[in-house]
Amino acid sequence: MDVDLIIAIEERAKALPDLDYFQVLNLPYTAGVADVKAAYYRESRAYHPDRFAALPSPELRDLVGRIYRRVNEAYTTLRDDEKRSRYAADVTGPDRAAKLRFTEAEESAHKEAQKRKLEEQFGQTPNGRKLYAAALKDMAAERWEVAERALRTALMYEPGNAKFKELLAQVEKSKPKVDPFKIR
Amino acid sequence: MSDDIAVGIDLGTSYSCVAVVQDGVPQVIPNEWGEHTHASVVSFLQHGSVLVGNNAKKNIITNAESTVYSAKRLIGRFYFSDEVKKAQAVMPYQIVEGPNNSVRVEVAGRTFAVPEISALVLKEMKAIAETARGHEIRKAVITCPAYFNDNQRQATRDAGRIAGLEVLRIINEPTAAALAYGFGKDINQKICVYDLGGGTFDVSILEIGKDVFEVLSTAGDTYLGGDDFDDRIMTWLAEDFLAKHQLDLRQNKYCLQMLKEASEKAKIDVGRQGTAQIQVPGICQTPEGQVLELAHTLQADQFNKMVMDLVQRTFKVCDEALQSARLTASDIDAVILVGGPTRLPIIRNSVRHYFQREPLTGIDPDEVVALGASIQAAALLDAGAAVAGQASYLLDVTPLSLRVGTVGGLTELIIHKNTPIPIEKSKTFTTSRDGQERVKIRVYQGESSKSEGCELLGEFEFSGFRIGYRGEVAIQVTFEIDPNGIVNVSATDLETKKRASTTISLSSGLSEKDIQTAIDHNADIALVDHPTA
Repeated sequence: MDVDLIIAIEERAKALPDLDYFQVLNLPYTAGVADVKAAYYRESRAYHPDRFAALPSPELRDLVGRIYRRVNEAYTTLRDDEKRSRYAADVTGPDRAAKLRFTEAEESAHKEAQKRKLEEQFGQTPNGRKLYAAALKDMAAERWEVAERALRTALMYEPGNAKFKELLAQVEKSKPKVDPFKIR
Repeated sequence: MSDDIAVGIDLGTSYSCVAVVQDGVPQVIPNEWGEHTHASVVSFLQHGSVLVGNNAKKNIITNAESTVYSAKRLIGRFYFSDEVKKAQAVMPYQIVEGPNNSVRVEVAGRTFAVPEISALVLKEMKAIAETARGHEIRKAVITCPAYFNDNQRQATRDAGRIAGLEVLRIINEPTAAALAYGFGKDINQKICVYDLGGGTFDVSILEIGKDVFEVLSTAGDTYLGGDDFDDRIMTWLAEDFLAKHQLDLRQNKYCLQMLKEASEKAKIDVGRQGTAQIQVPGICQTPEGQVLELAHTLQADQFNKMVMDLVQRTFKVCDEALQSARLTASDIDAVILVGGPTRLPIIRNSVRHYFQREPLTGIDPDEVVALGASIQAAALLDAGAAVAGQASYLLDVTPLSLRVGTVGGLTELIIHKNTPIPIEKSKTFTTSRDGQERVKIRVYQGESSKSEGCELLGEFEFSGFRIGYRGEVAIQVTFEIDPNGIVNVSATDLETKKRASTTISLSSGLSEKDIQTAIDHNADIALVDHPTA
């Protein structure tokens, strides 16, 4: 087998602890999801354990295994848009050394952020969310009165929800104006 | 080229198949009678010899108690699992409890672990290949359902070792099938493999790029297969017979076997001809000594109605797989059908309807998995691949989430399902008592946050780390899933960086010693070609 290739693998494995996921996949920090996939295929062709399965040296196969596990780890993190941008910010920031691997702490922070985002979108209570969704549907069908009632009820569950208030204002604006005192 | 060759073996619930790549072309190796698939049936004869394959299948009725079939349904399961209970009710052979909640089969006065039974099937496949090739074969790639958990994969690998094979890799059946169809020339296709076997159902969604087969997602049901279709016919026949003659055919294991065979034949006939004549003379005797026969006609639409919910269940699994891959049915460029039951028109039509395209059936659905496995086997033996790069790489995923047990019967997610493998993930545990010497963790696979909803893989005990006050000692446990989908657990003391010793205190599998004993036992068992021997 090629000596150059052996040296390349050994060096790669040695450098592994200091590489971030972008470096593992040979990607710039600005890479998009399609780039990540292409890079993953490229690195898989280079370091897939099957490529080296017939080699007699177990040490070398072990090194390849270590590199490839990191390739998979990098791919699973970077293929997710949210995780990728969070991770890119982490490793280009001051805490780089501690943030090289997307561990439990980052995973739970990511989940927390997603949950918050979901709540901001839909509200914090199940009833609030349900009513908000119903109101959106009613608005689409131009049932303004029903939508207004749903949103007012939703605001009873979550009085501080800005999203609900905003939508309510919108409903009130688009509601056809009826003058209650006008007698035909 | 050296003589060293490796075969691909599809170790199926009902049928097995062996293939090899010859002059660059994957081919199924037939046995001496030209049969391409071989019943996964092991029949123990009186003189201590063993019959495997289609001849053994005939013994299911005549030699019911010493003929073991559908062992794959039991492999890698705990004795208390539902599947084992179900098997006990219908199988004529003795299923007993072994050490550590394992399953043992008692036959011909001996007790076998399930991998030992499967090993005999593998040994037959090995023998078929050796007869055809004229020299010894020691290496193989063995396939298993994509949805198999770690216990089942380990047991499959153990079976290979007991049969005297070096198992180069355990690969997933749907992935192997995709490999056999030899995509990879066309750039970036998304394909779906619909694999309905005798006992299991799998769906894998793959994306195929240049030289790369990436599994995007896998979903499955290890309790759904062609056998369940037979069961429906069986229930229908038995209920009808019960109403007519006040005799339940399912009470007697001999009658049950004849009923089972008739049902399977009816399923195949109804698939081929649209109608099936069921005729079993002398299926049982009344207490008065009157011999009764079973006679019925099964029409296609009647059969379709019987199995409609089973067919629908397969598409629920398809939905799940597509959802995990974040795709819809219309994104799929090709559909591959795998497994004998996919010959049924009701399956083909439903698949066509669901995906809105004609499924690919160019390769025999019974052989496609073994052919794919042989391609993988040849690639793994090719030392030149390291420099030149091989034809195609499989990027597979783990089908089930890996979890650890926490307090109160709950579990915590470690590795998410559909994560590409090999992969590793670490988690830090701290001691909960002063001076604690051991840390025990239980590892599970499954999608439930409760431990009872998941499959227990084993209990690991770590020791040999620094002794200190509670909460002070941190042990980093690394969970690794290797390219076979098999889980390895190791631990290090975070402070001293010393590897803690690990012992498996609970596991359904065989210990190294058990395997060695089994290898010795297995070598003594002679396989014969004819029941007359």
